[in-house]
Amino acid sequence: MNKETTSSKVTKWVLISISFIFIALMLLLPLITVIIEAFKQGWDVYKQAVVDDYTVHAVLLTVEATVFAVIINTVFGLSAAWSLTKFNFKGKKILTTLIDLPVTVSPIIAGLIFLLTFGRQSPLFPILQDLDIKIVFAVPGIVLATIFVTFPFISRELIPVLESRGNDEEEAAALMGAGGFTIFRKVTFPHIKWAFLYGVVLCTARAMGEFGAVSVLSGHLRGKTNTLPLHVEILFNEFQYVPAFAVASILVVMAIIILILRSVIEYTGMRKSNVR
Amino acid sequence: MYVELKNINKSFGNFKASNDVSFGIEKGKLIGLLGPSGSGKTTILRMIAGLETPDSGDIIVNDKVVNNVPASKRGIGFVFQSYALFRYMTVFDNIAFGLKIQKVPENEIKERVLELVKLTGLSGLENRYPSQLSGGQRQRVAFARALAPNPKLLLLDEPFAAIDAKVRHELRHWLKEMIAKLGVTSIFVTHDQDEAIEVADEIIIMNKGGIDQIGNPLEVYSNPKTAFVASFFGQPSIFKDYNKFRRFDPVGEVDQVIVRPEFVKVTKKTETQKYQNSAEEGVVTDVAFRGTGLELTILVNGENITARRRFDQAPIEVGEKVDVFIYRIFATAGDKVYPLENQSLREPVVVI
Repeated sequence: MNKETTSSKVTKWVLISISFIFIALMLLLPLITVIIEAFKQGWDVYKQAVVDDYTVHAVLLTVEATVFAVIINTVFGLSAAWSLTKFNFKGKKILTTLIDLPVTVSPIIAGLIFLLTFGRQSPLFPILQDLDIKIVFAVPGIVLATIFVTFPFISRELIPVLESRGNDEEEAAALMGAGGFTIFRKVTFPHIKWAFLYGVVLCTARAMGEFGAVSVLSGHLRGKTNTLPLHVEILFNEFQYVPAFAVASILVVMAIIILILRSVIEYTGMRKSNVR
Repeated sequence: MYVELKNINKSFGNFKASNDVSFGIEKGKLIGLLGPSGSGKTTILRMIAGLETPDSGDIIVNDKVVNNVPASKRGIGFVFQSYALFRYMTVFDNIAFGLKIQKVPENEIKERVLELVKLTGLSGLENRYPSQLSGGQRQRVAFARALAPNPKLLLLDEPFAAIDAKVRHELRHWLKEMIAKLGVTSIFVTHDQDEAIEVADEIIIMNKGGIDQIGNPLEVYSNPKTAFVASFFGQPSIFKDYNKFRRFDPVGEVDQVIVRPEFVKVTKKTETQKYQNSAEEGVVTDVAFRGTGLELTILVNGENITARRRFDQAPIEVGEKVDVFIYRIFATAGDKVYPLENQSLREPVVVI
């Protein structure tokens, strides 16, 4: 074996080791700690923390916000990706840039923006009050904040896929008399299906874990506007460590499910696109 | 006239893609729209199909102005350069797509698709996906798909561009036969002069957004009407001054002289040159192997002339002195073309 291959082998193993040690330290260790802490006082205490009314409510609220965010961002993501790749219009560049804004802006700031837009100081507030719409410190605020922080995820997955393939197939279908919806269903969607599902998964994962923006807008009303991450924080601040970790473990489980889903989608998508 | 274009203009920003284009096409003909890239031929095709709208002028199909008829209602079959096959559908579903949209009964669809599959020689491949087919097969699927709804007019955009040379040759003949058999009026776009000459009944030559000449292949080949057409066919040698070569009728000032290789006869010093008196002496500067023969570059009177020689003739080497006789040249002045024949051809030949 010559020198060069020996050194490249060393490089390879050093890099692999660094990655593994890093992941073990930064990811696995905390995860294991969460599980250990959660079960520190046995199964019963864990169960009690998990089936606690406030916890159940927090889970439901988190699911609700996530579902809304995913549905609305699906509609938005598809339209944005479609319009950005299929049409030429003024303001296309601006739209492209703005889509990324939620990723670059700190969630806390996002929360504050909404607080100022819809809160008491806002000129909109009297109108909202007349219409009996509560946004700040209420569920709509949480949903709004969640939508805001997750809205680039689906469109960002779709745009490169749509861009890479051009309009020929759609044009061919339109020439044969197919309407817009038929074209989307039969020609476009099969192509973007896997990227789309992947985007949905990412969006879901991010929506479930959202803390910053939601924290500002929710007001931390227990049993009313408390999502899972907020609930964990409250419990922790009250020095209820075991329940805090128990609730956190619910989030961990949800995250792991999403991770598995993601891998399945990625694997299936890759296999399918290899065949065709 | 089945298809007629009247004074069509179309611009994309500052680029004039069609400049006052008018032509007519008879029913049942196979037309080649020929021109270099950027000459506006694809734009014309897309406007006839309804994928682009002309800025001004009328497009008439079957005596009706179709400018405002949507693409899907024009009854046109279109074969895309990239084929644009639906990659997530089988061959069968690809061909059936148009019929399904028209809500044709299921059993009729099946009958029609299988008929086309058989016609295009795709039997047994109905359940394959486009990515599992060769280039030639994809082209046939695209062709079958365009034909399935029984179009009155078939448009093909560079139908052979993405296929390798050997298959392309076969497909050209296949397509010509197929279209003749079906009798569907067809227009195909190509930048390949050989393809246009081989396949088309009539050739429309486009240059810079306008039409230079329309005629059957023999006409446009032997009687080019513009300088562009004259220089577009073959691999012509082009130079400035025709007085360098003897025995061509003078026509006054010309811009350039075009000599096609097939109009040049090269003889070795040991061979007999029929028109010895009017042949010029030249030095071979390059010999290239061209598959079907040799391509010679010969320096004659300070100009490089391209000529061909068959394999069964005695070989010629670089640096060799040869006799060159030019039968015919095209002299162009402005947009005018003068075909000039060597005067020796008109004189009685004395063979010694």
